[in-house]
Amino acid sequence: MANQRVLIIDDSQDIHRLVRARLKGLSVDIDSASSAAAGLDKVREQMPDLILLDVNMPGISGFEACEQLKNNPITHDIPVIFLTGVEESVNKVKGFDLGAVDYVTKPFDPAELRARVRTALKTKTLMDMLTSQAQLDGLTGLHNRRYFDDRIKQALDTVTRYKHPVGLLLLDVDHFKSINDTFGHPKGDQVLCKLAELLTQNVRVSDVACRYGGEEFAVILPDSSPDHTFQSGQRLLELVRNCTDFLVILNRPVTVSIGTACAEPSASITPQALINQADQALYAAKASGRNRVEAA
Amino acid sequence: MHTEQSAGNTPASPTAGSTPETPLFSEFAGDEDMADLVELFVDELAERVQAISQAVDSSDTATLTQLAHQLKGAAGGYGFGPITDSAAILEQLVKSDADSASIRNAADDLMTLCRRATAKPQ
Repeated sequence: MANQRVLIIDDSQDIHRLVRARLKGLSVDIDSASSAAAGLDKVREQMPDLILLDVNMPGISGFEACEQLKNNPITHDIPVIFLTGVEESVNKVKGFDLGAVDYVTKPFDPAELRARVRTALKTKTLMDMLTSQAQLDGLTGLHNRRYFDDRIKQALDTVTRYKHPVGLLLLDVDHFKSINDTFGHPKGDQVLCKLAELLTQNVRVSDVACRYGGEEFAVILPDSSPDHTFQSGQRLLELVRNCTDFLVILNRPVTVSIGTACAEPSASITPQALINQADQALYAAKASGRNRVEAA
Repeated sequence: MHTEQSAGNTPASPTAGSTPETPLFSEFAGDEDMADLVELFVDELAERVQAISQAVDSSDTATLTQLAHQLKGAAGGYGFGPITDSAAILEQLVKSDADSASIRNAADDLMTLCRRATAKPQ
C-alpha cells in the first residue's frame, strides 16, 4: 500500500523540519507549505490524508483555511490537526468547532505528536474503507446503485464539456423469478455473482459496471458512440448466453435482455432521461422475445 | 539611544565566535537524530536576533509579534524551553501594547538567551 500523505501548513520552517524529524519512521510522505494560501493549493493538488495546520499565520489564518477545507465537498473529509500555542486554550475548542479532529500544542512533545498523527491516520484509513464499502453491492461486489447515480451524473457532465458521447447499458436476467422459484434463492444469488464476474472481466477499465437493483445491472461506457454501445451490449449478451458456468450452476443456460442508450454531445440529457431511454429499450427487448439487445 | 547602547554594553549585533555568558544547551544535545536539526536551528538564531533587534528599533510590532510567536512555537521543540518561555513573554507584551521599555527589556532577555543557545557541549 502506498504511504499516507501528511501536509504541514505552518509559517515557520523550523516547525516543518521539526515535524519531519519527529515523524520519521512512521512510513508517511510529508510535504509542507509556509502559508495557508500555498497550503490550500497543495491540498487540492495532492489530496493528503492528514493536514497539520498552524492556527496563527500571517495572511489567511489556520481557522480560515480549515473553514475553507470543510466547506469544500472534495476536501471536507481530510482530517485536520491544529498546531496551537500553549496559551491558546480558547482556540482548541474553536478548532474542534471548525471540524478539526485533534490539536497539538507547540512546542510539542515528540511522542505525543507521533501518537496523535498515527491515530488520525488510522481513523482516516477506516473512514476511506467505510466510504468504499458504502459504494459496493454486498452480494456481487460490484458498485451499487448509489455509486451508479454519482457516476452517471459525472459522466454526463463531461459529455458536453469534452464532446464525447457516453453509452449506457441496462441488463436484466431473463426469467429470473422462475430461476429463484425453481432452483432456490442461493442458486439465484450464484447466477447474479457469475454475471457480475462476467461484466467485470469483459468491460473496459474506464467502463463502470454496477448492480442497479434486483437482477438488473447497469454499465456506463464513457466515450462510446451509439453503435459502439450497442455492439458492447451484443458482445455481453453472447458472453452470457455462451457461458458454460451457468450449466454447472443450474444445468441450463442463462440469458439476459439488454437495453442501450447514448448521450451525445449535440443534445444535453439528464441522467434520469438517459436511464428512461435505456429502460424503454430494455422493455422492448423483453417484449420482443428476450435474449436480445435493443437500442433506444 | 541606540548608539549609547551599542557603545556601552556588549555589542547588540550577533557576536561571532564567543558566546556571551554561560552557554544554553539543547535538551536534545545527546539525541543523534536531532543533532543536525538543532545545529541548523542554532545557526539561524543569529539572524533571528538581528531581525528582532531591527523590529524593536523600528517599533515594527507586526514583525516582532511574528518573530516572537515563531520562536515560542519552535524553540522548545529544539530543546530550548527557556527561549520559548521568553518569546511567549515578549509576544504577550507586544500584543497587549505594553510600553516600549518593557518590550525592549523582554526583547533583550530573549536575544541574550538566543545568543547563549548552543547545539551541544564541545
